[in-house]
Amino acid sequence: MFAIGVIGFISRRNLIVMFLCTELMFQGVAINLIAFGRYHGNFAGQAFVIFVLVIAAAEASLALGLVVLLFRQKNTLDADAWRELKG
Amino acid sequence: MEFVIAHSYLIPLLPLLGAAISGFFGAKWLKGQSHWPIWLGVGAAAVMSFVLLGGMIHLAGSSEGPVGRVQDYYEWVSAGTFSAKAGFFFDPLTAVMLCVVTGVGFFITVFAAGYMKGETGYFRFFAYLGLFIFSMTNLVMGSNLAMLYLGWEGVGLCSYLLIGYYYEKPAAREAAKKAFLVNRVGDFGFALGIMLCFWAFGTISYYGSGVGSGTGLLEMAHRVLMHAPDSNVHAATQLWALKYIPFLLMLGAFGKSAQFPLYVWLPDAMEGPTPVSALIHAATMVTAGVYMIVRCGTLFVGNSAAMMTVAAIGGFTALFAATIALRQFDLKKVFAYSTISQLGYMFVGVGILAPASAVFHLVTHAFFKALLFLSSGVVMHAMNGHLDMRKMSGLKKVLPKTNILMLIGCAALAGFPALSGFFSKDEIVAQTWAHSTLLGMTVLFTAFLTAYYTFRLYFQVFQGPLVVPSEPAEAKPDHDPHQESGHDIPVDGHTAHHGDEHHNHEPMLMILPLVVLAIGAVLAGYLNWPKDHLAEFLGKSPSVHYAYEIAMSHYDHDLVKAESFGVTEAGGSSEPFITPGMLIGGMVSIAGILLAYMLHLRDRARAERIAAGLQPITSILEAKYMVDEIYQAAIVEPLRDLGRFFFAIDRIVVDGLVWLVGFVPQLSGFVLKLTVQRGYLQGYAAAMLFGVVAILLIVFL
Repeated sequence: MFAIGVIGFISRRNLIVMFLCTELMFQGVAINLIAFGRYHGNFAGQAFVIFVLVIAAAEASLALGLVVLLFRQKNTLDADAWRELKG
Repeated sequence: MEFVIAHSYLIPLLPLLGAAISGFFGAKWLKGQSHWPIWLGVGAAAVMSFVLLGGMIHLAGSSEGPVGRVQDYYEWVSAGTFSAKAGFFFDPLTAVMLCVVTGVGFFITVFAAGYMKGETGYFRFFAYLGLFIFSMTNLVMGSNLAMLYLGWEGVGLCSYLLIGYYYEKPAAREAAKKAFLVNRVGDFGFALGIMLCFWAFGTISYYGSGVGSGTGLLEMAHRVLMHAPDSNVHAATQLWALKYIPFLLMLGAFGKSAQFPLYVWLPDAMEGPTPVSALIHAATMVTAGVYMIVRCGTLFVGNSAAMMTVAAIGGFTALFAATIALRQFDLKKVFAYSTISQLGYMFVGVGILAPASAVFHLVTHAFFKALLFLSSGVVMHAMNGHLDMRKMSGLKKVLPKTNILMLIGCAALAGFPALSGFFSKDEIVAQTWAHSTLLGMTVLFTAFLTAYYTFRLYFQVFQGPLVVPSEPAEAKPDHDPHQESGHDIPVDGHTAHHGDEHHNHEPMLMILPLVVLAIGAVLAGYLNWPKDHLAEFLGKSPSVHYAYEIAMSHYDHDLVKAESFGVTEAGGSSEPFITPGMLIGGMVSIAGILLAYMLHLRDRARAERIAAGLQPITSILEAKYMVDEIYQAAIVEPLRDLGRFFFAIDRIVVDGLVWLVGFVPQLSGFVLKLTVQRGYLQGYAAAMLFGVVAILLIVFL
């Protein structure tokens, strides 16, 4: 899942899809944490995943807000539209 | 006396306090009254000094051996085994020096109030004077070399500030810088000498916890010189160091006391106000070198090479400066060269094992040279800032009181019989003969020259037909407030008298201190004649006493005259009332005066003819032997070139390196900006991914 997220992030230009891909990476890491937690037989992994999910929820709302704002500026969701921000 | 010693910190502190009051409150509140704090401070210090002198005389009279008191207040500098205490040392030498500094200093500050009246920065002038007296008293009272050095640098600073008092004038600024820099050369050696003292002896205190305790530098040197190598474990080192210490200390003395080759700053220092020339550059500061050598006599006497150097340099400087003075036309310049010449005498005195005579000459010189400088200050005051003696003549009609005072000063300087300079100079001259005929000839001839150039000046300026410069001195527009007061002295004598009724050229405030100094210039000689009172008193100074003991063990006894060290011989002094030396000295002096009379009063045209006949000699004298030019070409310019060379190196190499260091990140940033930062979000993500992978690979593999 993490790998799919990475590839998606790098290959797609649409900001929403890219954002979705970051979420995918999150979940990949979360599943990983649960799996290792299970393997080592403690609950720290699960507890941490809950923690990550909470933060991910908050971050998702923030990021979607940003994407909406960016869309309003340029009427497009293409990431390359913002190349002018380069130094 | 006990009270004064216990509270001796007041002697330097009161003038300093006065300086602080004048300096901080002078600009706004005190203004024209700024002299009061200084008068009071220096006056109180002078009273304490004289009480101290009285106490010392009493103490010296009632004791057989040397007397000296150490009064340490607190630890000033402490680093490892090095320690310098803020403390004072009192012995007859200190007492005499203190009285000269504060006594003569007080009268000069009184004179200065009249002379400087109306100057801009009046308060600043007095603040500097107070600071100077503070430094100078520290210098002569300090109980160790660090205190001496503090005062030494302090007077150097004040000298710089006061020479540059008219800082709008380029010449004054240049002179101030020159004085400071030339003194640095000497002080460098002096500082090294102090360090060497500490290295060899482990202390820089003169007498440690007290005279006779054997813990001080001077007593340790005395012991190692008297009792040969096995007196202590460090004896070999100490004897080795004693070969070099005097030469290093001597450098400092030559700088401060304007001896060849470091004398060049003193004539230029005449750019300062005249009271400064009198106080610092004639009466007190320049004698610091003589004081230091006498104080550290134990370090010097054992080293005959050093003593010979001191005497030779002193003799050479005396003659050299006297010849330059022959063809100077600026009143103050003549006296400046004469000061250098007289300081040369003092060094000769120190060098030929006659410290008491040197200090005697120091005292008399302080009186008559201060008198001469201040008198020429009066002349300058009245002549709208003119000092060129070719432009004036016959001033006795305009300045009758100054005429008499100047005559006394000149006669004392010339060594006219029965005046102070006669006794002190002839004492040195007479003793020089015993050591070296050549040196004796030199100082005797110099005495003749001194008499001649002094009276050349006197006859030229005060006698003969009345001529006064009509227009104000053009070179010193901002120099004198006196020209604003409009002393337009008419050229013909009648109106001059008329003018006198309206303008008093000789205000009492300026004449009174001069009268006191003149009395001193007349009578100071009797301190040491017909009986050697002053010398005997100075002989009770441990520094002089120990120096005498060392001299007795290191030199042929014929060369060591007990009375030069103030030691009375058991058999009683067999010195005749009037010595042959005195007769010769007096005759030489009168001969010089007569020559000056012939050439500069009776027949001035003849002087011009003779001068024209000796064209090559006079022109080289007027050019002051080109010493300044030689220094400029041989030292200053190469140093400037070196400076330019280093500046170029600094610009190219050092700045280049710094610039390079700054340029590398700039360049790399610029390159990266073009190649990597292209704005593709995915590109950044990929770079991050590769980075993380790379780090993981490095960490885990």
